[in-house]
Amino acid sequence: MKSIDNYKKILLVDDDIDLLEQNKILFESLGLNIITADSAKEGLIQFMKELPDAAIIDLIMERPDSGFVLSHKIKNTEHGRKIPVLILSSATYDTGIKFGTTTPEEKAWIKCDGFLNKPVVIEELISKLEKFVN
Amino acid sequence: MQELKPKILVIDDEKALREGIKSFLENESFYVEIAKNGLSGIELALKNDFDIIMIDMKLPDIEGYEVLKKIKESKPNSICIVSTAFASIEAAVSSVRLGAFSYIPKPFSPDELLFQLEQGIKQRKILVESELLRNEKEEFLLEIANEKSRLNTIIESISSGVLLINKIGELVYFNHAALNKLNWKSIQIGEYILERLPDELKNILKDFLNAETIINKSITTQIEIVTKGVMFLDATCSAVLHSDGSFAGVVIILKNITGFKKNEFIKNQFISMVAHELKSPVLAALGFLQLMQDEKIKITKEQEVDFFNRSVQRLKGALELINDLLDISRMEMKKKYREIVCVNINKIISNIIPIFELEISKKNIHLALQLGDNIPEINLDTSEISRMFMNLMSNAIKYNRNGGYINIFTKLESNYILIKIMDTGIGLKEEDKGLLFNEFFRAKNKLTKNISGTGLGLTIVKRIVESYQGKIELESEFEKGTTFIIWLPINNSSKNG
Repeated sequence: MKSIDNYKKILLVDDDIDLLEQNKILFESLGLNIITADSAKEGLIQFMKELPDAAIIDLIMERPDSGFVLSHKIKNTEHGRKIPVLILSSATYDTGIKFGTTTPEEKAWIKCDGFLNKPVVIEELISKLEKFVN
Repeated sequence: MQELKPKILVIDDEKALREGIKSFLENESFYVEIAKNGLSGIELALKNDFDIIMIDMKLPDIEGYEVLKKIKESKPNSICIVSTAFASIEAAVSSVRLGAFSYIPKPFSPDELLFQLEQGIKQRKILVESELLRNEKEEFLLEIANEKSRLNTIIESISSGVLLINKIGELVYFNHAALNKLNWKSIQIGEYILERLPDELKNILKDFLNAETIINKSITTQIEIVTKGVMFLDATCSAVLHSDGSFAGVVIILKNITGFKKNEFIKNQFISMVAHELKSPVLAALGFLQLMQDEKIKITKEQEVDFFNRSVQRLKGALELINDLLDISRMEMKKKYREIVCVNINKIISNIIPIFELEISKKNIHLALQLGDNIPEINLDTSEISRMFMNLMSNAIKYNRNGGYINIFTKLESNYILIKIMDTGIGLKEEDKGLLFNEFFRAKNKLTKNISGTGLGLTIVKRIVESYQGKIELESEFEKGTTFIIWLPINNSSKNG
């Protein structure tokens, strides 16, 4: 059994409905069950309701840091601590700040489990999710 | 004074003697005046400037000593020769003590007198010259002091901070602007200052102080001073040399460049926002194309049509954004060479309406114009003001409901033309009102989902209004409608000319 198979249900949050739909189709082609939300607010509601196995959140939504805020909220829940939360962004370009989650300090204040570059490369997504299982 | 006759005053109560001396000395090319008693002698002596004053000790009114004392008090450079028939050592000593130059016992021969006078004149010359020198020196010192205080005033009044540091790192001179810039409460002249300086500055200064050969160029660095906010300083260090060319110390000039840095930051932020806003539509269009390209992903025919349409929409949006950006940069540049003409706002509005006729009828919108009839012509760039109205009209239609209303209203209100554009569109939520004029802000809710826009339209409007010293405000109620209110000053011709 591949470790990607641990992820039955993934929450996808992005305020760009075109990108949201594209990623949904892309991830579904891997056999994943995708729940979508087009705002941080809706994202939190869906998370609470569906308790997904992973969450992928766009960084810049209503506010430039909406993704971080949502990720922080999810990571503060009991279920949130068990699942990988990835931030979707081209943040190095967007904010001019290079950040990562390689040190415990960074993980502590960023409160997410990793970053995904836009546009999503499916192999990168799989490897990040598998890394979390291991 | 050398060319002039020496001026002599003879104070003696013996008429024959004083007349005799007068005529004798006049023959010897002296200028001579005489006084017959002490008081008139003092009067003459103080009124004039005699080189030598001969004072008889025994005078009918007051003592010769008194006369000597009075004259010496106010004319210390006068040479006083005391004469008396009652010669005694004591009298000689006490008169010299009182300031007499010499003592001549009566009777005296003409040669004796001439000898004494010559000695006195020599002494007088020395005294006068030394006084001149003293005065010159004082004047010179005063001038230096004035010069120094002038320089101090100048350095104190410039807004840049100035610090002068000697070659062993001690403070030699500073102005108060330097204290403010470095956020220091106080410093002392002579204080070892090197370690108190911010690191970047300290390192440069050490290079200067430790250099084997004098660094003869200025070195500039930027430093950050954290106070209540952050202040950015531009610090320039240059060597100061003695007149013989040897190294004396370093002068540091501190300039506050916070404003400049802020502008730079805003510009960088704008660029990164633009990049992000441009990236999104390109990414979306690319995403659809890649989905259709990917053979592993199955999509229906309807999906394909939908994806094509949406790709086209997104790319159109990107193009609109690029056009808006070009407009903004054109506006920034055009501020310098606008085509200012005298125009009537009402006319501009009337000219724009037909452009939107199709969209208005498509949505079945009722348009009402209430244009004031006493609106004066004002100096504006027609294309800019047209653009302002077009952006506002376009929003009023785009965000309106079908069968809604748009009212356009103009009025002269004291020194302003008041313009109102009211729509019955989706309105704004309270939390979005403050953000509306921000670059790339677009209200996001279920009502705006299907309305495209660049997020720059109102930014452009605001920039245009403010570039004419005008003001824009809005009144809005969510799901009811929005009214934009613009004031344009009518006496703006001189400011934009």
